[in-house]
Amino acid sequence: MNGLGALTDSAGHLAGRPLEEWNAAYEKVENYFHALRVRNKALLGRLVLRVLERAAGRAPAEPEHSATQLAAEEMDRIVIEWFAEVLQMPPANADQMLSTRGRLALLLADMPGRWQEQFLRPGPWPKEFISAMRETYLRAGPDFQLSKMTPRPFDLGPITSLQNLGKFPYVRMLTAWVFWGLLLIFIFWLTHAGERSFWEQCGIVFSGVVRFFEHLFHRG
Amino acid sequence: MAPVPRVARGWRLFIFYSCALLLTGLVSMLFADLLWRTGWSTSRTVLMVLFVVLFLFAAIGCTHGLYGFVLRMFGDDRCITHLKEYRGQSIAGISTAIVFPVYNEDVVRVCEGLRATYESLAKTGQLECFDFFILSDSTNPDKWVEEERRWYDLVRELDALGRIHYRRRLNNEGRKCGNVRDFLNAWGRRYRYFMVCDADSVMRGETLVDLVKLMEVHPTAGLIQTVPATVNCESLFGRIQQFANRLYAPIYIAGLNYWALDLGNYWGHNAIIRTEPFMQFCDLPQLPGRKPFGGQILSHDFVEAALLSRENWEVWFAYDLEGSYEEAPQAMIENAQRERRWCQGNLQHSLVLFAKGLRGVSRLHLMLGICGYLAGPLWLAFLLTFNWICWFHKHTGLSDIPVHAFTPYLNLSATAHALLIFVICMVVIMLPKMLVLIDLSYDSQRRRAFGGLARATTGVVAETVFSTLHAPLLMLWHTRFVLINLLGVSTGWWPQKRAADGTPWTYAIRRHWGHTLFGLVWGAFMWSLGPSLFWWFTPMLAGMILSIPLSVFTSRRGLGARARKLGLFLTPEEIAPPPELVALRANMKVHEITEDTSPRRPHAGLAEAVLDPYVNAIHVSLLREKRLNPVYAEQLAGMGVGSPQVRALGEKLLTVGPDKLTPAERLLIMADESAMVWLYHEAWLRQSLAPWWKASIRGYSRQDES
Repeated sequence: MNGLGALTDSAGHLAGRPLEEWNAAYEKVENYFHALRVRNKALLGRLVLRVLERAAGRAPAEPEHSATQLAAEEMDRIVIEWFAEVLQMPPANADQMLSTRGRLALLLADMPGRWQEQFLRPGPWPKEFISAMRETYLRAGPDFQLSKMTPRPFDLGPITSLQNLGKFPYVRMLTAWVFWGLLLIFIFWLTHAGERSFWEQCGIVFSGVVRFFEHLFHRG
Repeated sequence: MAPVPRVARGWRLFIFYSCALLLTGLVSMLFADLLWRTGWSTSRTVLMVLFVVLFLFAAIGCTHGLYGFVLRMFGDDRCITHLKEYRGQSIAGISTAIVFPVYNEDVVRVCEGLRATYESLAKTGQLECFDFFILSDSTNPDKWVEEERRWYDLVRELDALGRIHYRRRLNNEGRKCGNVRDFLNAWGRRYRYFMVCDADSVMRGETLVDLVKLMEVHPTAGLIQTVPATVNCESLFGRIQQFANRLYAPIYIAGLNYWALDLGNYWGHNAIIRTEPFMQFCDLPQLPGRKPFGGQILSHDFVEAALLSRENWEVWFAYDLEGSYEEAPQAMIENAQRERRWCQGNLQHSLVLFAKGLRGVSRLHLMLGICGYLAGPLWLAFLLTFNWICWFHKHTGLSDIPVHAFTPYLNLSATAHALLIFVICMVVIMLPKMLVLIDLSYDSQRRRAFGGLARATTGVVAETVFSTLHAPLLMLWHTRFVLINLLGVSTGWWPQKRAADGTPWTYAIRRHWGHTLFGLVWGAFMWSLGPSLFWWFTPMLAGMILSIPLSVFTSRRGLGARARKLGLFLTPEEIAPPPELVALRANMKVHEITEDTSPRRPHAGLAEAVLDPYVNAIHVSLLREKRLNPVYAEQLAGMGVGSPQVRALGEKLLTVGPDKLTPAERLLIMADESAMVWLYHEAWLRQSLAPWWKASIRGYSRQDES
């Protein structure tokens, strides 16, 4: 007897393989369906057994392959065939892309939440499930509307700017502030320069200013 | 483009800064007089110059507070929200993108912030005018995969496929501004406006709609910056910063708006931008020279605002629009890390400062940003110079020579003279805080929002005490950051190790031992100069010496909660949380309760992207979509995607596990669509796999058991 429906043979084997091998195969297939979020234990058990049945069917003819390997291949084949049927896409030569498309469709249709009972079930399937599987698609962004930003000329030269200081927009304001600062320094100098009194300092400054203008007019 | 009619701002600017200069001039005169009466020297000249500069910074801050207070008391008609009626403006048919640039961020927080914003916007009924984008620059594969997974979950839960988008760049050239530029190059032309949010931003839907309406009624506005309120802080440090931000910011920003008007600034997030001029004028060039000054402009936001202003586009602060939120660092060290990034960016602005064609006000924004970080080293230099003078005075045995000064006119002793200057400095620093409290006392609604005047006053006093202790640490940190940048040296900054409840002691000791030692040595030196001088310096020395416990205790959530129970540092969002923040907190709590928060296995993201049937499908699908963009297609080809080498790397990955591959190799495999499809198939079908894969596969059954 080839299938798993039978009990172990006299050597303790199942479909010609030791029980440990089938246990490992079971674990692998179960993990895969867990990964697909098949949470219903009854359904999960049935699906795993279905895969193992097919693997066991192949086991006697393919002694070079382990039970786990056979089970993994059957698990993949069952899923891909089902995707092809549900999505109405040819399974041949495109199985890897079909697998991606199918898994995405399962996710977008919310198979783990809404349609668990439909997973790997032969058709016909509910219309809503079919349309959810076939019509939804994942887009991470809207259509591209391509353009290219390019940096504009950006003259950083401080020297150029300093040369054009006269054109500086707030030059008058800055001049007023500089004047205010100079005025303070001047007052400070007047009130602190040596032993002379404030009025003596003023006199010196005044006479200096008079001499400056005398010199200016004399030259003129 | 024709020049945009401008609001006359010259007088405002002149009057505003004249106040600061007038005050600085008068107090500097008094200080100079104090120095003069003890005998002038070179070191006193240095001290004088430093005093003038530092006092000017303080005076500018004080003037902001003063003007802001007056404007709030008597109304400000030069605020963008008051210039034109905008609430009746229709935004139908206008497309706006809300972008969240992320870089290895907490993905749960990003998605929940986006969810809160999305749901709030949905309530306005204007959702169809907005598209959301998560723009990832993440280099960590785990984050990359988590972003894809959580993006899909978010889209599914909100039924927002086609409304919330996700895009990860293949390289993160240009960092955040490169990320935004990449978005604009791909989709910018679809949107009249785009709004930039930070990873921790949350925006109220009505505020988003208001911003679009404001842009519509002001066709010359290029950018409107909101003033984000700091929220969701739980540690003591975070709550103090949050309280200070919420209480003081409105007054300061009102003062800022007084002189900036339509030449405002951009802070990089929570702002709406007109796409077309931004794309046309704001692609930033590389700065000449080597890092840290040369190369890419790090603090791009200020420069982008300056470039928009240069082209006569208005940049405004919408400082009275509520509903714009951000989060802040929860601990002193975390805050310093952020300060370091900003410091480098702001110092870089010194190269841009003299760029041709910039508006004077834009230069002022840049300059204030630079000064914010130069103040620290200048303050330290001031204190050290002062100490030098005291030491020199003591050890040379020279006595003061009484000379002519203002003293005869003021009739002050030297001590009273010094005290007078000290009091003036304190008033200049404290005045804005006092004005904030007066403002609060006149505004019953705001007063209640802060838990009443008594609580707010207590909060201000406690905040002042804390900032007195924190300021010397910031001074030392800023000095270090500035020196590092000037020398072009980069000292490694280890990523912060955060414990469940704040900064661990060992980490605090590693980061603060230098501050403590500096404080102890300085304290001993001051004591040797004289106990009377020492006592004047105790608040500053205390901050340094107590830096370790201060850093640890203020980072604790428990202390933050206790302060809250006592009614300290309450903010409007704590007393009456807005719905979007309530939703955010609730959703974050759900994640906290329901999700496994234990550290994930190394390369868990890679395992998920390869083994999980759905995550792999999403990942491959997004990679496939990338190829539709010729720019990405070219980049993918340049990376060698699809080549036999990548397949060979994939083979190596399966047979020896991810540890034997370099991070770049792992990222390359993950960027290769066909390799990821093949890996999925092989990992589930093949028997001879590295133990790491077998363990990862077994993880699915354990997941189910849990």
